[in-house]
Amino acid sequence: MTPHFRFNRIIVTAALLCLLPAAIFAQNNGGPRMDHENTLPPTPTGPTPMAPDGHPDLTGLWNGLADNLLGVPNQMHNVGIEVGPDATRDIHSGVQIATWPLQNRTRQNNEQNERAATLLRRMGSNRPIYKPQYWQRVKDFDANSNEEDPSNNCMPAGVPRMGVPSYIAQTPKYLVFVYPGQGGLIATATSYRMIPTDGRKHTNLEDLDGTWNGESIGHWEGDTMVVDSIGFNSTSWFDQLGGYFHSENMHVIERLHRDGNTLTWTATVEDPDVLLEPWTTTPRIALLNPDSKAVLSESLPCSERDFAHVVTKEHH
Amino acid sequence: MRATMIKVLAKRAVVITAFAALAFQAAAGQSSKPSAAGAADDAAKLNTSEVAKTLKVAAEALGLARWSGVGGQRLPEVDVINTMEIWGSGTTYGLSQASKPGEPGPAFKTEYHATLGYNPPAMRVELTRTSSGAPSQGGAAPQQTIEVVRDKYAWDESEIGGGLVPGKGTATPAMAAVDNRLLQLWILPYGVIKAALAAGDKTKVSTEKGTTVITFPLSEQLANVMVKATLDAQNEVAKVETRSENPALSDLNTETEYTDYADHGEIATDVKSPGHIVRKRSGHPVLDIRVKMLDANNPYLVFPVPENIKKVAAH
Repeated sequence: MTPHFRFNRIIVTAALLCLLPAAIFAQNNGGPRMDHENTLPPTPTGPTPMAPDGHPDLTGLWNGLADNLLGVPNQMHNVGIEVGPDATRDIHSGVQIATWPLQNRTRQNNEQNERAATLLRRMGSNRPIYKPQYWQRVKDFDANSNEEDPSNNCMPAGVPRMGVPSYIAQTPKYLVFVYPGQGGLIATATSYRMIPTDGRKHTNLEDLDGTWNGESIGHWEGDTMVVDSIGFNSTSWFDQLGGYFHSENMHVIERLHRDGNTLTWTATVEDPDVLLEPWTTTPRIALLNPDSKAVLSESLPCSERDFAHVVTKEHH
Repeated sequence: MRATMIKVLAKRAVVITAFAALAFQAAAGQSSKPSAAGAADDAAKLNTSEVAKTLKVAAEALGLARWSGVGGQRLPEVDVINTMEIWGSGTTYGLSQASKPGEPGPAFKTEYHATLGYNPPAMRVELTRTSSGAPSQGGAAPQQTIEVVRDKYAWDESEIGGGLVPGKGTATPAMAAVDNRLLQLWILPYGVIKAALAAGDKTKVSTEKGTTVITFPLSEQLANVMVKATLDAQNEVAKVETRSENPALSDLNTETEYTDYADHGEIATDVKSPGHIVRKRSGHPVLDIRVKMLDANNPYLVFPVPENIKKVAAH
């Protein structure tokens, strides 16, 4: 083999490794495509099915817009950036953001695409307000997330970072939430939660071993399911991006509201140890999978296949 | 024979389709050109079209207008810049009553650190200044100031985030400085493009001595300030001049030159920033800074308003 040929093989291999995350994005475990034309919330249609106890039935496959953590459009929706065909708005502040029509876009190579995606995912104004002594730490965590992110190495995302469950099963006394894992560079383990709704109280915080998902208990407030969680470890981050660490005293309140074929989810994070004030996510609206026969397909095996190739601080 | 024919026809079809697509794109790109001149409406359209084109190329030159092919290939291009952090060093000048127009006041060797955001509009400028004429052999002790503005609030911090947590520094109101501090945010190249886009029909484009000039008014607190921005050959914002119509606000008459554009980030963003910033206020030099690094990756930067500042503003 000539040196020239070997060099070409290295170039080709490197190029394929660069393309791998994009290929994984495109696969999405065989589910609906995630490269939507906009990040506008889906319009609810159809009736809201009711459970025998008179509350809305949340049961369903809530990945009609693909897994809520995947793809730039979903990630922009998650941080509250509402992109329409020719107008963009930051939902939290109401600020209009300059938008240029699709047909006038300039060409970009793969690196430019990655860098732009990093900016697009972080442009929302709805950020938790930490105490000043932690500002630099949050910034450093985010800047070095390729090494610092606790969900790397196939660890769980944790509550509430995992966001909207892709599948919900509702029974009279508990809910089951399922979150498919992801392969590639953003590798997280498949997670599930079993959430009692039978009126029980939380265990004393001192008696709980801190975990990634904490102890969750659900109850209805009108037509809204409220899931209250305590008892976390201090390892996870509480949003998909941003380096948002927390203490073991974090308290999370999730709210899920079904309207026809849409499910609105928010999470409020209280952590007086590190935050100046409670923080609430911008509402994320998931769409019921339009295929009534769809099932949640098997997740790709979680493996940090790209991690060894990370050589810069550029985010993904 | 038939198979060969089909192959040839298929190839032709591909070529024709490709040309048709290119022609469509070219037509789409030209569609904003006016078809007739003379009428006032057409003149207005011409300017509107020219403004849109000019602001687009200026936004692209800065890396402000972006889209991503990684899962976002069907989304339009948007303004991606919200927060950023700048580190630099150079010279700042005090304002001296004795100084004649054009002459600098006392000079200070300065370490410059600014954090800023456009949504909401906010900026924190940390200056560490050492007098160049040190009075003693040991030299003058560096003086640190932290000046903050957010929306209609301005205050000085004794340390970063001072006044937010009991026992951790103080925040001193500086409400009279709101306009001046906000102006610093909007005359940065990114602020210029954002504000020019926001000004809509009030933004005009012209040519002066072969260079492109954008003029527009600022809004809200700075509504009486006109901005004139000059682009260089790469469509980067090279010079920004501001003029206030109110004689009492002559502090808002500034002139800033931006040169040596590059991606100055430790983490590459394809966002370009000036490497050299020189500013005059009311004719006097006030700032001459070399940018050492700029984090444009929308870093975590927040500007909560301390309670005591809100109370002062309410009165």
